[in-house]
Amino acid sequence: MIPQALIRNFPYLLRGAEITLLLSAASVALSTIVGMIVALLHVFGVAPIRIAVEIYLYLVRGVPLLILLFAMYYVLPYTGIDLDPLTGGILVIGVYYGAFMSQVFRAAILSLPQSQWDAARSLGMRRLLMLQIVVFPQAFRIAAPPFVNTCMMLIKSTSLVSIIGLWELTMAGREAVERSLAPFQIFAGVALIYFCMCYSLAWYGRYLEKRMQYVH
Amino acid sequence: MSIDALPVVAAPMIDIRGLSKRFGSHEVLRQVSLTIPKGQTLAVIGPSGSGKTTMLRCINLLEEFDEGEIVFDGSPIGYRRGPDGRRRRLPEREIATTRSSIGIVFQSFNLFPHMTVLRNIIAAPVRVKGMDRTAAETLARDLLARVGLSDKANEYPLRLSGGQQQRVAIARALAMQPKAMLFDEVTSALDPELVGEVLAVIKQLAEDGMTMVLVTHEMQFARDVADTIVFMADGTIVEQGPPKTLFANPTSDRLRAFLKRYHDAYLL
Repeated sequence: MIPQALIRNFPYLLRGAEITLLLSAASVALSTIVGMIVALLHVFGVAPIRIAVEIYLYLVRGVPLLILLFAMYYVLPYTGIDLDPLTGGILVIGVYYGAFMSQVFRAAILSLPQSQWDAARSLGMRRLLMLQIVVFPQAFRIAAPPFVNTCMMLIKSTSLVSIIGLWELTMAGREAVERSLAPFQIFAGVALIYFCMCYSLAWYGRYLEKRMQYVH
Repeated sequence: MSIDALPVVAAPMIDIRGLSKRFGSHEVLRQVSLTIPKGQTLAVIGPSGSGKTTMLRCINLLEEFDEGEIVFDGSPIGYRRGPDGRRRRLPEREIATTRSSIGIVFQSFNLFPHMTVLRNIIAAPVRVKGMDRTAAETLARDLLARVGLSDKANEYPLRLSGGQQQRVAIARALAMQPKAMLFDEVTSALDPELVGEVLAVIKQLAEDGMTMVLVTHEMQFARDVADTIVFMADGTIVEQGPPKTLFANPTSDRLRAFLKRYHDAYLL
């Protein structure tokens, strides 16, 4: 048995996957930047900043991503800001996953033993230099596996943006199903494409992890 | 009395006056005063929890202190009294500069695991002192030769034995060309057969005239290498003096008891 409907629609799905990849890459970049800044503020900020960070974290982690997307799509236009679904999707996912990324980075920074800070301080290093040459290089290694994990969740979450009208992989799949009336084949194809994206990321993550071992 | 008859007192490198520190309600250091003249080696002994390590860490402000002052080669460590008599913390920049002229070696080596041995040694000279990279590398290789590890420049720390790591840590501290060195129980984490190689390096430093403070459990070594032994207990200095007198004729009961326990545990 040859999955005719899937084969016929596969190029269409791949075009959707391109948008998903674009959305994912931009959101990963944004959430990484947000996460990094938030983590640093959370660890090193003065009390009022830390409190502001905590509020952001509780808000974001306590509200479903879909609700935030709806808010962006239905509520934001009333304030005069009207974003197209792609830009809006990148912003919302970036800010949402930024909260999770910040916890990945924060945990990595805090997991560095006090003795490393002691050694750096005793050599006369000041905070920025310490972060740059002692803390970050080690924290990145610690953060790599949970970072990859968060990226995989992010990629899968991009399918939600189809609900507010962004044409990407999930939306392309739904259209293909309506055309071909072969939901099993098409959704299997869609799932396979998501799986390949996430699996190759996981594979790359494991490769990085191995390459970054201290003992060479 | 003629000038000649006055005892010659070397200028102090480290001068600790009335140092006190509390962790909550627990007083770790109580009014500790101690002077370390330039070029001298001082060994601090005492039971665990006596405040030896805390005192050592106060000297380069890895540990903040509540009262008293520490003067290092003429400049205050950590705090200065303002005109209103209130104690103010010095700016970070000043603290960092002073720290960079005091070397410290830790019990657990604390090398940077993501850098090669050579980079561990040159990182601070290049990035903190602004030393030329080639000059720093020459200095580093020189120091590695001095601690007997010339062939390990490109290894990562975790590939080395504890004794080798500790010798790299000493080289790393020396690369900042410090005016004084602090050693915090540097052989406690080592297998017995690796202790000797580290002590040999420290002994050489003492002979070269480095000002040093050693917190140690190696009594024999303290006796051999130190100009002065300080015995601490419960956050105070109980007794101090040259090793010969101190070990042969301890005047306090606490030191007698401590030495007896030590002899019972190690020598019998």
